[in-house]
Amino acid sequence: MISAQDLHKSFGAKTVLRGVSLTVAPGESLVVIGGSGTGKSVLLKCLLGLEPPDRGQVDIAGLKQPRPHELAAHVGMLFQGAALFDSLPVWQNVAFRLLRGRHRMPRGAARELAVEKLARVGLGPEVADLFPAELSGGMQKRVGLARAIVGNPPILFFDEPTAGLDPVMAGRINRLIRSVVSEAGATAMTITHDMRTLSDVADKVAMLRDGRIHWQGSRDEALTSRDPILHEFVTGGAETGET
Amino acid sequence: MMARTTALARATALAGATGRGTAGFLGFLGRFAGFAGQVCLSIRPPFQWRELGTQLVVIGWMSLPVVALTALFTGAALALQIHAGSARFNAEFAVPSITAIGMVRELGPVLGGLMVAARVASSIAAEIGTMKVSEQIDALRMQALDPVQFLAVPRVLAALLAMPVLVAAGNALGIMGGYGVGVARLGFDGPTYLRNTLEYLEFWDVASGLIKGAVFGALVALAGTFHGLRARGGAQGVGAATKSAVVMASVMILAANYLLTELFFSA
Repeated sequence: MISAQDLHKSFGAKTVLRGVSLTVAPGESLVVIGGSGTGKSVLLKCLLGLEPPDRGQVDIAGLKQPRPHELAAHVGMLFQGAALFDSLPVWQNVAFRLLRGRHRMPRGAARELAVEKLARVGLGPEVADLFPAELSGGMQKRVGLARAIVGNPPILFFDEPTAGLDPVMAGRINRLIRSVVSEAGATAMTITHDMRTLSDVADKVAMLRDGRIHWQGSRDEALTSRDPILHEFVTGGAETGET
Repeated sequence: MMARTTALARATALAGATGRGTAGFLGFLGRFAGFAGQVCLSIRPPFQWRELGTQLVVIGWMSLPVVALTALFTGAALALQIHAGSARFNAEFAVPSITAIGMVRELGPVLGGLMVAARVASSIAAEIGTMKVSEQIDALRMQALDPVQFLAVPRVLAALLAMPVLVAAGNALGIMGGYGVGVARLGFDGPTYLRNTLEYLEFWDVASGLIKGAVFGALVALAGTFHGLRARGGAQGVGAATKSAVVMASVMILAANYLLTELFFSA
């Protein structure tokens, strides 16, 4: 389960989160939407302990106010730009955590597992020895997804998974996320402003506006809502006739 | 009356700005000292041996040409300057020993440190800063790895170990630069020049320079990692971190050099 209660976060004089509360039930996929600068990424970082909230409570997998290293066994994360380590080949990026720490895995077994996870996201073994700079944006996202699921975590976070991708590749990534989440029965939270991601990935939707949750409901309710702000966001303003 | 009020307001504003600037600077020093302490506490298992080896090559081996060339030309110029100065007192015989002492105590470690600061602090800050703004540092943290232990510790240890070796190489080449000028330009007999150099050079002259080198190396790597991990906001932030790292490392080397010289050589 993912739970946030009354989260506040400011950077200097700029207040980003003004009391965000949301809950994602086990096995549920929540998509958080909102315009640029509404605090979506800051919310994600506060949940993951990458930015400490000024006030409020976070509970992830039963851990209260967790710090990132405490979440590693429970959470997989796909970053917006994939955040692959440039100096390592693809398979070592995927198996990064398995190769380090006290419970490290033998390199051969780690590579085998990495190649298996790469296959799961549609990448062949020939990609394993390439470096991130040799991959397209879509391939980097897939490698990032393989890294997120390598430890079979029960909770997955996706930050703008389709940012910078063409529509065809964005659709593929969305379907891949849906299938990976369903297959694992994982609890998922996705940050996006891409409505196709909302349609493909969401069970539930929350809209963030001015640092607060403006609207929450199911995906179908979101797509048919008459809330003017949500409706304009979902339709891209097409029905308001604004140019 | 009006003019006096305005002047008072200006003085108050200036005092306020000075106070805020001083407080900001002290706060910055405190954060850097805290970071240095955090790096020291992070020197614990699991050690990143592979990364340490890589950094020894990057920081040590690859800095050797620039440190060597700097030392060679500095030693040569130093011999010329000391000869010009000592000729005023008919003390030209002192050129070999003073050149050697000047190199190993001061110029070898300081110029070597400044060269490494320019080359290494900038590259560390740029590399780690890019990792920071592209969320690779967040990705490390999400993989249960401490960026300080994983990135800063190997770089600081590598610089700490590599710099004395670089300084030793620089010292040798600086003395050879002085020897070359002494023999070719100033009319010294080669064996006599070397004998004068070795006769007056003491163990502590060399050891103090090597200790300075180790301290300077650690400061360079600390400045690079500190600013890299604080980088924000894209390419501009990485550029600012790189510039700050080089400036900070250079100033700290000069300040530390004075403090260490006081510590080692004041009566």
